[in-house]
Amino acid sequence: MYFPRPLAMGVALALLAGSTLAASPTSPAELQAAWLAEARQSNPALRAFSAERGRSFFSTTHGSDWSCASCHTSNPGQGGAHAVTRKLIEPLAPAANPRRFSDAAKVDKWFGRNCKDVLGRACTAEEKGDLLAYLLTVKP
Amino acid sequence: MKTLQSLSLATLLLAGGAWAGDHRYALSPTYAAECGSCHVAYPPALMDAAGWKVTLQQLERHFGSDASLEPQAQREIASLLQAQASTRSAHEGKGAAPRLTTTAWFQRKHRPEELRGYPLPKVPAGARATPMAQCQQCHRRAEQGDFGEGSLQPADGRR
Repeated sequence: MYFPRPLAMGVALALLAGSTLAASPTSPAELQAAWLAEARQSNPALRAFSAERGRSFFSTTHGSDWSCASCHTSNPGQGGAHAVTRKLIEPLAPAANPRRFSDAAKVDKWFGRNCKDVLGRACTAEEKGDLLAYLLTVKP
Repeated sequence: MKTLQSLSLATLLLAGGAWAGDHRYALSPTYAAECGSCHVAYPPALMDAAGWKVTLQQLERHFGSDASLEPQAQREIASLLQAQASTRSAHEGKGAAPRLTTTAWFQRKHRPEELRGYPLPKVPAGARATPMAQCQQCHRRAEQGDFGEGSLQPADGRR
């Protein structure tokens, strides 16, 4: 098949662009298992994550102006909006939005960014596990 | 041959840039995904290469948020922005944290007499929202890269 060069270049560019966005499929259960193993290294007594601790982590501030709820709203079963730009944010709870917590690279990227914004540091495996335990209890 | 030429032209536009004059911009999927999650994926052609370079150097502190990228995405977006950046002095990004909204071109297009009938979105007292970052409130097809006047509507929905 013949492609004129710019078209071929466009196709190559599109493929290249696709590669960055390549999904690393996962599931809430898989993430929970990995975080539990990680959290037990520093806290061997940890039996399970706590949705209640996760709920409080989600809705309170951590020394700065923002909480998770500042953008994701106090009901993560519904959509929110970015605190500064008002850009719409899709629901965070997997029951309301099955694309959430389905791509490991995306999960890492957003915890990386948002934990620094809200806590001023990275989140621990225990915090992430508690948070997801809470989100899994939220209905749309 | 004519078909090939127009195909090539369409591809160049898709791969690279804007439909001149009508303020519609083609955005790469990577750029739209990485730079369009927290705000509208702003058209690369609305700031100069130097302004984008400074912006990309400080993504960990991006207007109050951490917007850092994975190295591969960072490289891709850096080269895309350098390729699509404006070469017009009216699009010069100014200062230590260049903003699209402070270029001479943007300010001219959004001066009070231009905004008549299109009031800026209201921001509740104490909120951190910035009206000018909310392109989508008036440019209703901004998410699709379309800033043409045909898709312009006042923020409150009346016309």
